[in-house]
Amino acid sequence: MIYAGIDIGSISTKVALLDEEKLLGTLVSFSGYNAEAAAKRVFEEILAQHGLRATDVAKVVATGYGRASVAFADKAITEITCHAAGAYFSDGEVRFVIDIGGQDSKAIELGEGGQVKNFLMNDKCAAGTGRFLEVMARALELDLEKFADFSLRADLPAPISNICTVFAESEVISLIAKGEKRENIIAGIHSAIAARVSAMVIRLGGASAVMMTGGVAKNAGLVSALSEKLQTTVKVSPYAQENGAIGAALLARRLLK
Amino acid sequence: MLKEHFATLERRLAEQIAQGEDNPRKLYALEVARFGQRLYSGEHKIAWTGVLAPFELLNATGVTSCFVEFTGAMLASMGFSSTFIEESQQGGFGSDMCSYHRAILGAQRKGLIPSPNFLVATSCPCSGGMAVMEILAHSFQKPLLVLHIPQEENERNVRYLANQLEELHNFIAQEAKEPRDDAKLAQAIEHANRTRETLLELYELARHVPSPVANNDLANFAYIINLLMGTPHGTRLAQNFVDAFAKRVRAGSSGVDGEKRRLLWIQNRIQFKNPFISLLEKEYRAAIVIDEMNCVTWEKIEPQDPYMGIARRIIGNPFNGPAQRRLENLQRLARAYRVDGALNPCNWGCRQGAGARGIIGKGLNEIGVPVLNLETDCADKRNFFEGQLRTRLAAFMEMLEENAQRKGNEQR
Repeated sequence: MIYAGIDIGSISTKVALLDEEKLLGTLVSFSGYNAEAAAKRVFEEILAQHGLRATDVAKVVATGYGRASVAFADKAITEITCHAAGAYFSDGEVRFVIDIGGQDSKAIELGEGGQVKNFLMNDKCAAGTGRFLEVMARALELDLEKFADFSLRADLPAPISNICTVFAESEVISLIAKGEKRENIIAGIHSAIAARVSAMVIRLGGASAVMMTGGVAKNAGLVSALSEKLQTTVKVSPYAQENGAIGAALLARRLLK
Repeated sequence: MLKEHFATLERRLAEQIAQGEDNPRKLYALEVARFGQRLYSGEHKIAWTGVLAPFELLNATGVTSCFVEFTGAMLASMGFSSTFIEESQQGGFGSDMCSYHRAILGAQRKGLIPSPNFLVATSCPCSGGMAVMEILAHSFQKPLLVLHIPQEENERNVRYLANQLEELHNFIAQEAKEPRDDAKLAQAIEHANRTRETLLELYELARHVPSPVANNDLANFAYIINLLMGTPHGTRLAQNFVDAFAKRVRAGSSGVDGEKRRLLWIQNRIQFKNPFISLLEKEYRAAIVIDEMNCVTWEKIEPQDPYMGIARRIIGNPFNGPAQRRLENLQRLARAYRVDGALNPCNWGCRQGAGARGIIGKGLNEIGVPVLNLETDCADKRNFFEGQLRTRLAAFMEMLEENAQRKGNEQR
């Protein structure tokens, strides 16, 4: 039987297909303003890629901020539970998951078997999220991919004292005006985010067997800053961006058991 | 505004009850409306107090008295607190202060807090509350008596507070221009003891599995009962719930249909309209079987020696002293009520609540009770982010579901 997981994030929508044994495939697309339409579109696309019809899929689980909009899903499950399941699928040794999404960041502690034992999410504002990085990249006139790579060339990270998105943007602009190197500014931004996110992992009692999931996990500079703060090598999920969708598909499979 | 609100509320509730739509919560709300009317009528002697004030002494002297946070909560429940919070900020009060207190300060600036005959502050549970009392006393130019509550329960400290309570009794009589009447106080203590006995019966019934308590039944209950201590009204309200819960238990019915999860609610409820309570009941079949405040932590008080007994009750309050004391009480409640998890809304401006959050979370986790900290404000709706909070709650309920399945598998 085939199972599908759809993760509708604030920036991108991901879909994963599983059969009883293995991952069949994944697909990533922009969410746009209509979560339901985005879910339908990626679902149809992946089915077409695999020569399948909707009726071939036994169960569908939706996750992410748009999870409630997916009328054709059998169940909506939060991204917290789905990211835990996805990370455990990638690596059974993982005990802590960091997921930085478009508009929130979370630290998840896994129990035996990959279930959620505890979790924390960013509070009060969008600082330390994917959107925060986007705003900073725009201020530095870089696309996100270059932004990530730049920080690895920093010689002295610039201190970013504020992590409120708006204030931090002003601070970045001031640093640019002072002639600070972009590499150092970006490394400073990563360090500020890492301080905030690693505090959540430490509050959960963790500092080892940490995996990062979500699209932001592709940012090597941030992963490096997190590893430094946590004093451990933060693993990156091989399916970083699709991890939530894979978790949703795994949970869809479990619905029938 | 509040005077009209309480009058309208009383009229509406009285009509509904007269038409046979009575239930313990409606009767409780009617009592709150009547209390609010007395407070705002301008015809009664009134006192503003701290939350741990000994209301028996005030009620025995015929003073309608109320802790100031009550007004903050009422304004929030009416949907008006934000206006007064803004007013307090315009007056220079910090935006990171407790929102209950900011609402009160704003309401006072707008003339919505009636001038009291006097004020009684308590050094516990929070210093912010005491500062508000000082500001109110200064603004109204009325006398303020501060009770210094020692943290440790020992005979010396109990005697120290008991002496202050006797002094307070004289102060109340003097400011209310009434003779100090020890016989009336003894009678008030007898009422308070009956209330205590009824509460014990009520909370025992709430422990049943499934629990007869619906999620809104006992919301804010202990606070109001405290205000009515020393009067027959408190006992009557508690007895109404005892009768209703006993009936539900006998019928094998539960407060929340198909109770699946049992929850402990830490500290205060969210006072403004929000979807959480109904979401818990309908979507997750989760019952709030116990609120942290709804417990009896004191012994019967000797009517002929009231000050010592009241002093013991105040000093022994779990909110007095180190956070460890609160944790121990919460652990006791979590075990007694067999809860699956706990919710801690942790009002943003509450230093005491936020400061204790880590200790409470860790301590409850140690006895196998997961805690969800809800990053919200209990009195200012502008700081309630529904979408984010729904996700946290949904993830927490999924986690409890997973825990229940695992326990079920282990038992098999």
